[in-house]
Amino acid sequence: MGRIVLSAILALSFSTSLSHAQSSWTGGDDLPTNPLACDGTAAAAASVPYDGGQPTNAPDRNGKTITVVDVPKLVGIGYFNATSKGIADAAAEMGTMDAKTDGPSRANIDDQITLIDNYITSGVDGILFAANDPVAISPVLKKALAAGINVVGYDANSEPDARQWFVNQAEFNGIAKSMIDALAAEIGEDGAFAIVTSTFTTPNQARWIAEMEAYQAECYPNMKWLETVEAQEDNILSFNQANTLINKYGDEMKGILGMTSVATPAAADAVTQAGQCGNVAVVGLATPNAMKPYVASDCVKSVVLWNPVDLGYAAAYVLRAVADGTLEPGATSVEAGKLGELQVINGSEILLGAPFVFTKDNINDFDF
Amino acid sequence: MTAAVDLPPIRPRNGARRQGFLRRLFADYGQECVVLGAIVLLFVVVTFINPRFVNTNNLITIFSGNAYIAVAAIGMAMVIMTGNIDVSVGALIGVLATIAGTLAVSGYPIWFALTAPILVGMAVNTVIGVLVAYGRIPSIVVTLGALSILRGGLIGVTGGTWITDLPPDFLIAQKRLFSIPVPLIFMIVLTVAAFLWMRYSAFGRSIYAIGGNPEAAVATGIPVERRLVSVFAIHGAFAGLAAILFATQLQVIQSTVPPNLELTIITATVIGGVSILGGTGTVIGSTLATILFATIGSALIFINVSAYWLRAVIGLLILATVLADMLRRRGRA
Amino acid sequence: MNWRALIRHETFLALLLVLVLVVLSFQSDRFFTVANLLNQGRLMTEIGLIAIAMTFVIATGGIDLSVGSILGLVAILLGVFWQNVGMPLPMAMAAAIAAGTFAGFLNGFIITRFRVPPLIATLATLALYRGLAEGISQARSVRGYPDWFYVLGQGEVLGVPTQLWILFAAAVIASVILAYTRWGRTVYAIGSNEVASRFSGLPVETTKLALYTASGFAASLAAVIFVSRVSTTRSDMGTGIELDAITAVVLGGTSIFGGRGTIIGTIIGLCLIQALKNGLSLAGVKGDGTIMLIGAVLILAILVSNIFERSGSR
Repeated sequence: MGRIVLSAILALSFSTSLSHAQSSWTGGDDLPTNPLACDGTAAAAASVPYDGGQPTNAPDRNGKTITVVDVPKLVGIGYFNATSKGIADAAAEMGTMDAKTDGPSRANIDDQITLIDNYITSGVDGILFAANDPVAISPVLKKALAAGINVVGYDANSEPDARQWFVNQAEFNGIAKSMIDALAAEIGEDGAFAIVTSTFTTPNQARWIAEMEAYQAECYPNMKWLETVEAQEDNILSFNQANTLINKYGDEMKGILGMTSVATPAAADAVTQAGQCGNVAVVGLATPNAMKPYVASDCVKSVVLWNPVDLGYAAAYVLRAVADGTLEPGATSVEAGKLGELQVINGSEILLGAPFVFTKDNINDFDF
Repeated sequence: MTAAVDLPPIRPRNGARRQGFLRRLFADYGQECVVLGAIVLLFVVVTFINPRFVNTNNLITIFSGNAYIAVAAIGMAMVIMTGNIDVSVGALIGVLATIAGTLAVSGYPIWFALTAPILVGMAVNTVIGVLVAYGRIPSIVVTLGALSILRGGLIGVTGGTWITDLPPDFLIAQKRLFSIPVPLIFMIVLTVAAFLWMRYSAFGRSIYAIGGNPEAAVATGIPVERRLVSVFAIHGAFAGLAAILFATQLQVIQSTVPPNLELTIITATVIGGVSILGGTGTVIGSTLATILFATIGSALIFINVSAYWLRAVIGLLILATVLADMLRRRGRA
Repeated sequence: MNWRALIRHETFLALLLVLVLVVLSFQSDRFFTVANLLNQGRLMTEIGLIAIAMTFVIATGGIDLSVGSILGLVAILLGVFWQNVGMPLPMAMAAAIAAGTFAGFLNGFIITRFRVPPLIATLATLALYRGLAEGISQARSVRGYPDWFYVLGQGEVLGVPTQLWILFAAAVIASVILAYTRWGRTVYAIGSNEVASRFSGLPVETTKLALYTASGFAASLAAVIFVSRVSTTRSDMGTGIELDAITAVVLGGTSIFGGRGTIIGTIIGLCLIQALKNGLSLAGVKGDGTIMLIGAVLILAILVSNIFERSGSR
């Protein structure tokens, strides 16, 4: 009898979940989207009041040497090596920041939370983070604020009130526009394409995909969205998945979008080894060093990314400014060393700039 | 467990003739047949739905894309047959791939970059084997420890830098011999060689004996400890070969451990019919199981199963394969 | 009291734990404080609950690799039952835990009814349950639970983290069952010699079925606590937690071949790992150095204990 009830519960959960999400399986999330105008005219920026948090009873750190820990999503991938290099550069330049990077060895929410918790206990002055999950990380960050620690995020946000500021590498809709524009330039406004992403649960990727969907529907309605496949953070799996897509769709598929710095080079390699360069375009987010061979062979024309070294650098400067008390709620801009003035957007976010498109002409100027 | 030594059956000649070839094949290699049957069934069904499934390129993707897993599973099969297990092999492959790549870009000769991972793999696993055989620590304990040490060490040493600018001659997994991809050749040759060696050499048969009944193996004069160390060392060599395929498939080496690689390798081995209790199974089975996984992964994309349900379907198919095998065994008994 | 009875793995491990605590408190004055230790208790509760149930399973010579996936599945079901089905939260919690317990029961059913070796059965369900979690969640996470729900994972009762009470209760009950009941002795008997146990009329199949069900229940309970602690659900929750739990169990002296093991050993093993993770971090050692050291400690602890035991038995 008990077994029947339980089976019924399981069956119920299946049917509900099937019905509540039958609508789309593009890999996007269900948050509201805000696509940019097709011709790139900037939307009127609504002024949002400061919605970040504040540390409780933070000591006066103005001008003093502060110890800072940087906790990225995971260590051991090129992207976060670049951000921690930026942080180290900024710390060396300032001379008043003692920064180190320590992150989980896999992109795991619990490992990251435990690490941050330990650093709160060890009594650091500031925490820089890139969240594996915006909600899950928030309780521990609030705890850091309550302990008087300055908290600044970069790359992947938490809930706004769990940190003071967030350095936004580029707005989601900006990335989406750059990606789809670059793709449309290569495959035409009526081409078909597929996506290789990491996992559907990675918040940034899901957000970009949702924004891309909205922007494409508005600006390139004739483009055909084939499907999205998952490939973890595994380069061989990404390679196999991209190959399978090529095999499945043949000439129908004109382009592949890579959503991570792991998936994009692997997809480019799949296209190269399948001898499809020129027939299947690869556009995606990736670090330049990994993409140089494919750009050099003309197989990949555009790689979209911000400069992660600059992102880390800006995050370190923002943290310094917060600790010094020079960046306060309500500010409209912040001075970030060699990057100059950076604008405040969305209340408590600092915008690094527009996404950067690497091409054959400029990719060799970058080394990360 | 019954105490009999469960060697792969070599039946008396006249008895075998009377039984009929197919029945005998099925009796000796039941699980292999089940897995092969599942692959064939999938091919038929999916091709019926989407004929593009069997185009040459896709066959190559299916058969050679996971070759490195199949190669690693050969070594794993031997370890499991002795009644042991290795959960550190994924981390080891990550380390060995990084070693190969680092040597290749630092100007060492290609042959050296391609042999070093095999030797280092053997060395690391010899240490593990010694701890298991002479230290009498259960293999799952040693390899859980080794997993932490290797994973932590890899990040600590490389700092997570990716290796790029690999010399073209190094990328052997991208090459073809007589228009057959090199990984496919690796997989087939190594599987067949290991199968024959285990079936017909004294050493190979002693692996089955150790797993089937260690006490009896000691009694018949097999040096169990020494053999165990050798099996782990051989497993390390296969991990090295797998690492070479892994490192040379793309033009970039990611110096992190592929997530859950060890679980994939162990799953392939046991689904292929290698008994975790030791003593039975063949490496043909583990290679077929690897191909089955690749076929499932590709098939689900071809027949448009929502990617969200992909892993659930894989899990269900694995469970079905396991249960089919159990029912078959019961039917035989 | 025979002093030889003290030469056993648990004693050795407890001494090691004391040594580690002393050394680490000299490394950082923030380590050995009540607040920090209680906080560490909060962080290790989920692994602890799973490890306690796993101790029983491993003591019978079995293993349960699917616990991490059950954790993920229950977390997702909790969110779906509450938000999409519209159940009241307490009922959603009960239903999700029931479903997770059933998942454990299913493991036991496959293992006892079809005689599938536990490692294979739970490897298969590891993939299956994680797949179900992904499929059901459709990559959506459920957030915004009412405040009272967070008491479980983020609150305190009498100055001690709520979940630590649960872990404490579970540890006491489990120790009593394993050490002092007929049922506990059946577990050891199965682990030592399953065939002999069956012939002597012990309820082997029923016991195993109950153990895997209990393991599913422990993972489900851990899931609810985990969701409450991090205030969201994700389908990848609990990935790899099975290896962490097994590490604690075997470090605690439970034989992977069955027949031997204690709850106190598992708890000491768990504390040792957590103390190393936390203390080394406070002492300025990075995460990758810490996991290397834990790996080395695991191997050395079992090795030393083996050597002592062999010399003791001679």
